[in-house]
Amino acid sequence: MVEEDRLQLLRDILLIDDREVAHAINQRIEKISETLEKQEKLSEKVNPIIEDRLKVFVSEIPTSLGPVITQTLKDEIENSKERVVEALYPIMGKMIKRYIQNEIKLLSETMNKKVNDTFSVNSFKRKLRAKFTGVKESDLLLTELDAPTISEVFIIQKGSGILLGNHSNTATVDKDMISGMLTAIKSFVEDAFEGGTQNLEAIEYELYTIHIQNFHTYYIAVVISGSYSRSFENKLENKLLKLSKSLSPQISILTKEAIDDILKTHF
Amino acid sequence: MESIKKIVLLGQFGVGKTSLLRRFITNEFIQDYKTTLGVQIKKKHITLPSGNTMSMIIWDLEGFSSVTKTRPSYLLGSNAFIHVFDITRPVTYYSLDEEINFFKKNYPKVLLRTVGNKSDEKNPKNVLEYLKNKDIDIHGVVSAKTGEGVTELFMDLAKNLETL
Repeated sequence: MVEEDRLQLLRDILLIDDREVAHAINQRIEKISETLEKQEKLSEKVNPIIEDRLKVFVSEIPTSLGPVITQTLKDEIENSKERVVEALYPIMGKMIKRYIQNEIKLLSETMNKKVNDTFSVNSFKRKLRAKFTGVKESDLLLTELDAPTISEVFIIQKGSGILLGNHSNTATVDKDMISGMLTAIKSFVEDAFEGGTQNLEAIEYELYTIHIQNFHTYYIAVVISGSYSRSFENKLENKLLKLSKSLSPQISILTKEAIDDILKTHF
Repeated sequence: MESIKKIVLLGQFGVGKTSLLRRFITNEFIQDYKTTLGVQIKKKHITLPSGNTMSMIIWDLEGFSSVTKTRPSYLLGSNAFIHVFDITRPVTYYSLDEEINFFKKNYPKVLLRTVGNKSDEKNPKNVLEYLKNKDIDIHGVVSAKTGEGVTELFMDLAKNLETL
């Protein structure tokens, strides 16, 4: 074998495998290039990965992004209160307007019904009452429509503000705290105006009135909704005086449950 | 057996009455100082070692330059007073003897606990020594910030009120 042949043989032995590998790599690169360059093929490969990542991302939003978004919103609202109010004002206005329109419509319907019922016994009674009391029939009519109702009754120890008994037709916040705060307000007003031994007798707030009737060691606070008229006040005072007759002699020995039961029988 | 007691927190401005109350009711501390206007009322229902339960209605009053200026009607019907001073501000404990005498004279039947707050900010040793020299008896020191001694103060008060 000549020198040249030997070299060729050696080259074949050393390089044949490399050539095959290079060929395989070339083929692979061509396939990858084809996948990358053709959108359909690329989508086929990439879409499932993106979808999986999106699913994970969406499921993690409440924990990862939620607090950030909430905080950002809070900061934005805090920093631009006026703009928020500006934006909400027209919406609130429309809602209030719609509500009032609806209420007036209802009131009008009920008044019409009452007025049309001219020859009823109640109408006759109302007319007589208007004549004798001097109160306009329309005012009496309005009072009838917005009749006062008792929502809550509190029996509260004077001074300490400790709740002795309660009767409630509605669910409210902690009654012990209400009786404490009522007593604090009462004490403040009675002190502030230096009215001697005078007592606070009523608190009014929008649709509610708190009627306060004082006794020696306790006072009764009655929460009333609706039109709080003098005649209702008079009736209520009589009712509370009657209640105090059964309460006062034994108030210091009665348990809260016993006072609650007495209140149930009266209201 | 359930009992209801009225407890009043009193003291000069900024001694930490509201912070003490907040620590006891919700076990929280807020660094921001917001002065109390008038009164705020909180309630805590506790079970005593005897098995009896107690509703503590706690009146947190606004601070005055001296507790003797507190509105008397807020103190009516109280079962206990927690009289708070600030161990980091001498002005709040210089006239402690006068204030304690005021309570003893005007409200002899009401249980009184005088406590120094903010023990986390200063070592109370010197203050306690000063009060001891003046023969002023206090309940102890507490910290609304760390909670040191706060629950113990209220629980001890409740136990004493139970036996009254």
